[in-house]
Amino acid sequence: MLTEEEARRYSRQVALPEIGVEGQLRLAAGRVMVVGLGGLGSIAAYYLAAAGVGYLKLIDRDRVAVENLNRQILHSTFDLERPKPESAAEKLSRLNPHCRIEAVHTAIEDSNAAALLADCDVIFDATDNRETRQVLNRLSLRRQVPFVYGGISGWEGMASTFIPGRTACFSCLFPPHAETAKPAPPPVLGPTAGIVASIQCLETIRLLVGCVPQLAGRLLRFSGLTMEFRKLQIDRNPGCPVCGAPAG
Amino acid sequence: MSVCIRITVNGLPEEVSPSATLADLIDRFREMDRDLIVEHNGRFVFPQDYASTGVAPNDRVEFIHPNFGG
Repeated sequence: MLTEEEARRYSRQVALPEIGVEGQLRLAAGRVMVVGLGGLGSIAAYYLAAAGVGYLKLIDRDRVAVENLNRQILHSTFDLERPKPESAAEKLSRLNPHCRIEAVHTAIEDSNAAALLADCDVIFDATDNRETRQVLNRLSLRRQVPFVYGGISGWEGMASTFIPGRTACFSCLFPPHAETAKPAPPPVLGPTAGIVASIQCLETIRLLVGCVPQLAGRLLRFSGLTMEFRKLQIDRNPGCPVCGAPAG
Repeated sequence: MSVCIRITVNGLPEEVSPSATLADLIDRFREMDRDLIVEHNGRFVFPQDYASTGVAPNDRVEFIHPNFGG
């Protein structure tokens, strides 16, 4: 049951037939691991906490830097040098005290990924590099947990939802290869991050309330230069070295 | 006698050899990104199929660069 305060807090979304009280209770029972608290993670953590997701594990290895603040709206000028998870947890706890926040100031790697995931229901990718996404993909497949990918660069962004055993995985789309040199960080506009992270949040909410995710097996691309969205079906790659999709 | 066929690459008209494969087009257009995604007539192409996938007149090929920032 929702308390009277919760019923009022979430009333505008409980009114949606796809959510309702039952969906709201599912959100309250939902556990999401948000990896990265930068441009994507700032938006994601805010919307997921506001929507009433019951538990958020917030993971980031960085501290707030002044060059983050054009887009990372979870952090402020007063947070400079603070660990991002700590800065995030403070705001999110104020936003919604019903959401339990666990802030983890660390890098996620194969060696600690499973312990960090624990019993989370969704892996929310808000990272800023391909290698960490490969870690999240392996974790998703090993633990059979959906992986909601989003990435941005300048005016453009893309998102997809990978469901282990049912859809292509991240490595079907981007096969692993040795990085020759660490690429320079791309230019980023805040609103681009906002759009892509919001799309990822919609997918995460759909997963938690039991609606079919619309980007499962599809890559959605957005361009802020042309204001176009395009979707591309992504089939499982029979040659994928990570998910080992069967041929055919 | 023209031996080229007309296709569309990244939204622009191009003339290419009728024997061109997607791998040839990647070379020709200097698409060096190892995480490149190739869309051929609206379909995602697996990287292992680039060298064996040919193009036909009026085909559409899009080279999509990944977005890995966050």
